[in-house]
Amino acid sequence: MEWMMNGHAILYTGVTLAFWTTILIVGICYTIFDLGFRFDVAWFLTETSPFMWASLGIGLAISLSVVGAAWGIYITGSSIIGGGVKAPRIKTKNLVSIIFCEAVAIYGIIMAIVISNLAENFSGTTPETIGEKNYQAGYSMFGAGLTVGFSNLFCGICVGIVGSGAALADAQNASLFVKILIVEIFGSAIGLFGVIVAILQTSKVKMGD
Amino acid sequence: RMTEVGLRRSSLSTMAFTSVLLFICSIYSCYAQAPLLMWTSDGSNMPHLAQPTAGQTVSGGQLASYLKSALSIAPRNVLLFLQDKLSMEDFTMYGGVFGNKQDSAFLNVESALQTSSNPLVLPALDWSASHSILELLQGELGIPAVQIDPSTLKEIKLNTAQPSLLAVHLPYTVLNMFKSQDVPYTAVYTGLKPSRVIEDTPVMAGHSVGRSLLQALPESTVKPPLVINNTVGQPCILLWADTLLATYSGNQVDLARDIFNGSADTAGSVCNNTLSRLVLNYKNVLNLRSLRLIFSMRKIFFPVSARDWSVMEQVVLEYDGQRAIFNASSGIYSPAEYSFHCQSVSSAQSPLLVPRSATDNATMWTLSFTDFQIQGFNVTGEEFSYASDCAGFFTPGIWMGLLTSLLMVFILSYGLHMIMQLRTMDRFDDPKGPAISVPQSE
Repeated sequence: MEWMMNGHAILYTGVTLAFWTTILIVGICYTIFDLGFRFDVAWFLTETSPFMWASLGIGLAISLSVVGAAWGIYITGSSIIGGGVKAPRIKTKNLVSIIFCEAVAIYGIIMAIVISNLAENFSGTTPETIGEKNYQAGYSMFGAGLTVGFSNLFCGICVGIVGSGAALADAQNASLFVKILIVEIFGSAIGLFGVIVAILQTSKVKMGD
Repeated sequence: RMTEVGLRRSSLSTMAFTSVLLFICSIYSCYAQAPLLMWTSDGSNMPHLAQPTAGQTVSGGQLASYLKSALSIAPRNVLLFLQDKLSMEDFTMYGGVFGNKQDSAFLNVESALQTSSNPLVLPALDWSASHSILELLQGELGIPAVQIDPSTLKEIKLNTAQPSLLAVHLPYTVLNMFKSQDVPYTAVYTGLKPSRVIEDTPVMAGHSVGRSLLQALPESTVKPPLVINNTVGQPCILLWADTLLATYSGNQVDLARDIFNGSADTAGSVCNNTLSRLVLNYKNVLNLRSLRLIFSMRKIFFPVSARDWSVMEQVVLEYDGQRAIFNASSGIYSPAEYSFHCQSVSSAQSPLLVPRSATDNATMWTLSFTDFQIQGFNVTGEEFSYASDCAGFFTPGIWMGLLTSLLMVFILSYGLHMIMQLRTMDRFDDPKGPAISVPQSE
């Protein structure tokens, strides 16, 4: 773990230590002064605006999907380019791995547009006047965005690593490519699962007055 | 002021101070103090006494004993100059002491201070003693004091055989008159009360000692809270507010104006273990014959937090047979052991009071309470318990901003970490070997 021995590790451990120490000391102070009632999760969930949650969901949907796609393309692309030096015939066939990674990004942007279309204006300002449906809408949009984002992230990485192996195997022996493609198809299905679940989560969203 | 006294260099040069008592307060342990200067016309008869030690505050009793012994030797015509306000700083501010100034009125003071063993920290006279110096001198000489003012100045003729005591409230110049009559005298110059008080504040948490210098005395005119007693006479509801503004059909009244001076009408107030209702009755306000403002609070046990909470359910206005009801349970609550405080309880801005329904009479009213504090349960005296404030440490906006910005900072740092650990493949690099050649054919 050579990378642990450098300044990055010191910075990360320092920041983590500071963060958890602050949390610990604040928690201890609240406890010993009998101010534990101030730690109110319900207050936090009802006072923060549903729009924040919805926007976070939309942002994370597209950005995490793009991260997955980019990571996958970077992994696959370097292998294709490297293998293509000595075996140029692999170039065209292995572009299909790149397309599988790109599909993940397409899922992300489609879901981001679908979720953002569900956001409507509402006129309440207090927890009672905002109403349960708006809170449910906000949280659902956040959850859907997280769902599609994370599943596309890992799908993209998966497809990328498999595609990289496929390209290098193909460079060695042309008959291996078709078998490895099946593995890639299974990896790609994961992203689709995430999209389906996100659609289900936002099916009951009705924001507005 | 000082120069009007006539203590000019020419008059002082004829006298020599043999013993001067100067009292200066030390900075840190200060009570109200005034300096006292005493000198004689011929300057040779002031007795040497046990000098007070540096920093000591001389009390009235010690002053009396010193004066007794001094006056037994010194001339028995005593001039008492009473400045209405005098402090040690005035000597330097107005009298030009220690400045090598040409018109310094107190040259002999300066020289006496230089020769004393500790010129910086000197003994002090408690100002209640300086206030009573007139009585001390009267008692010592056995004669009443003669108050002097300018009209009688010229007519004063002193009988040198008898002791006399002249009290001069400054500023007047009398020394020249005395000099012209050639009467030996003892003069005492002091102040009735200090012109500036260095406050003695105890060093408490939050006060640094340096801030105690020349600080204005704090006012303590905060009105006490309104106390409602239960049937056995124990206090059970406490209320305090800066203003209780109620607006109805264009008119506004401050209902808090007269209720904290003991004349509040709280008939109808009830309190028991689980219900506290505070009723304030008003007559002839806002063009209404009668108005009742009712705060009703209930003590409820919530199982999730496993403690009792005091929740204000309603704020009701009963006026001329009608009722306006505001719901307050969503915003006005506190643990039952504590009081509730909020800087602004209003039905208009970020409302804690909302009308019970859209058709309720409360929609015609606007309530705005500022600096509002109420306690309905666990009242153990006439003071509030710890105040659970309606405003938390972070507002919802701050939490939202913190959440999103911390998330983005985390994402940024993760990406930066990934990029910074990228390494170029240099396993097959050979700087001295041949360059790589790519065949053109497929």
